[in-house]
Amino acid sequence: MNASDKGSTLIPLWGKRSLHRLPFIVLTDLFRSRHLLRLLIKRDLNARYRRAYLGYTWAVLEPLLLAVVYTFIFTILVGSSDPLYPVKIIIGIIGWTMFARSLTTSTKSLSSSINLFQFARVPKTVFATSGTLTNAVLAVISLTCLIPFYFIHDLPITANLLMLPVWLLLLSFTGWGIGLLLAPLACKIPDILNLINFLVRAGFFLSPVMWTYDMFNSRFGDGWHAIVAHLNPTVVPITGMRDVVLGESSAIPGYGYAMCLTIALLGYVFGAMVFERKAHRAVVNV
Amino acid sequence: MTVVMRLEDVTLEYPVPRQYRKEDIQPSGVRNISLEVNQGEVLGIIGRNGSGKSTLLKMMAGVFPPDSGTISARGSVSLLAGVGVGFHKELTGCENAYLYGALMGRTTEQIDGLIEEIQSFAELDHHFDRPIRTYSSGMKSRLGISVATAFRPDLLLIDEVLGVGDASFRKKSEDRVKQLIQDSGAVVIVSH
Repeated sequence: MNASDKGSTLIPLWGKRSLHRLPFIVLTDLFRSRHLLRLLIKRDLNARYRRAYLGYTWAVLEPLLLAVVYTFIFTILVGSSDPLYPVKIIIGIIGWTMFARSLTTSTKSLSSSINLFQFARVPKTVFATSGTLTNAVLAVISLTCLIPFYFIHDLPITANLLMLPVWLLLLSFTGWGIGLLLAPLACKIPDILNLINFLVRAGFFLSPVMWTYDMFNSRFGDGWHAIVAHLNPTVVPITGMRDVVLGESSAIPGYGYAMCLTIALLGYVFGAMVFERKAHRAVVNV
Repeated sequence: MTVVMRLEDVTLEYPVPRQYRKEDIQPSGVRNISLEVNQGEVLGIIGRNGSGKSTLLKMMAGVFPPDSGTISARGSVSLLAGVGVGFHKELTGCENAYLYGALMGRTTEQIDGLIEEIQSFAELDHHFDRPIRTYSSGMKSRLGISVATAFRPDLLLIDEVLGVGDASFRKKSEDRVKQLIQDSGAVVIVSH
């Protein structure tokens, strides 16, 4: 509580909140705590690269260097002849990193700040969100490494490019929602964090980072494999990012978009409900 | 007399660790506490280690939710405990003061008005603009106490936190807390 709560009546510290309203309450709480949110994002951005000589350049260099390694593996060792392959890999890495970091930072948000939550009444969703938004800022900075490829490959500059941040935000939103769902459990059972670390490593290969949607389609076709593949919430957004940058159009079926949006929305709705109901008690029991 | 905080039949129990569940061990915590804190009162809570004093204080501060019962408050509540928790080693003393203030629910404008006082009380001089990874533990504690005691709440909750720094800083902190107690609407102090 702070001075702004000052009033003439006694106010319950833990007012009852109906379950179905929790997803909206999380958003209004975040808006109300935007000052703290801004400070935490600034802290995370400052702290991450403050001691590095190259500073924020690392946000651009990281996906670029990884793309060099994967391009080497695929063009030299595997024999891929696609000249746009490095661009596809960079987009895949940026998209996947966005999702994976959102998922891990929000899952760890309670356990990593447990000392603070045991001494201060702070809105816990702010901590789960600040890490996600910090990574979103870094991902947008990372996108600048695509600029040289526009000149090298004469890539089209169209209004569709406006969809690039939308796809990135969808990846971020999905990771954040699932992270909210898992955070109270990860606070109680540390094994969840190990499991998430494993899933993120495995997910890198199961998501379209090194492979593309077209590669998958030409190999497996439209059967049940495709339905299972669309359960991975990164498949459609990463493919969408590639399409808007390269000016292509992958044949993503309507159900693919529907599944992707449903998973993102359900992840957030259930994540917000579980987080608001369980997070406060989870930090007491540690 | 105006009531600034009311606890009604409040209970919080910590779960018994899994390895002890087969034994007949009663869970620790606090049970069925009812009390009122009035405007202008200084309430002392004493008890042995593990008797639940800090747990009660954390519930009063809204940090821990009770299993049952209700806790109501009027105005701002501030808990003076765990001073310095939330500091980030890569940020400067000044940046950490703003962050710590925000964690206590204060706005940038409110901290702006007190930042010089915070710097001068912490006696950090030019170190205030350096990352706190370069600070000694005493310097970190001085900064923490300086920020934590800079604001005047309607209800101040104190959990024995002032044994830090050298003798002169301890004396200075004690004087500051005494002043804070005088200025705050009501105070609850926990001690052995």
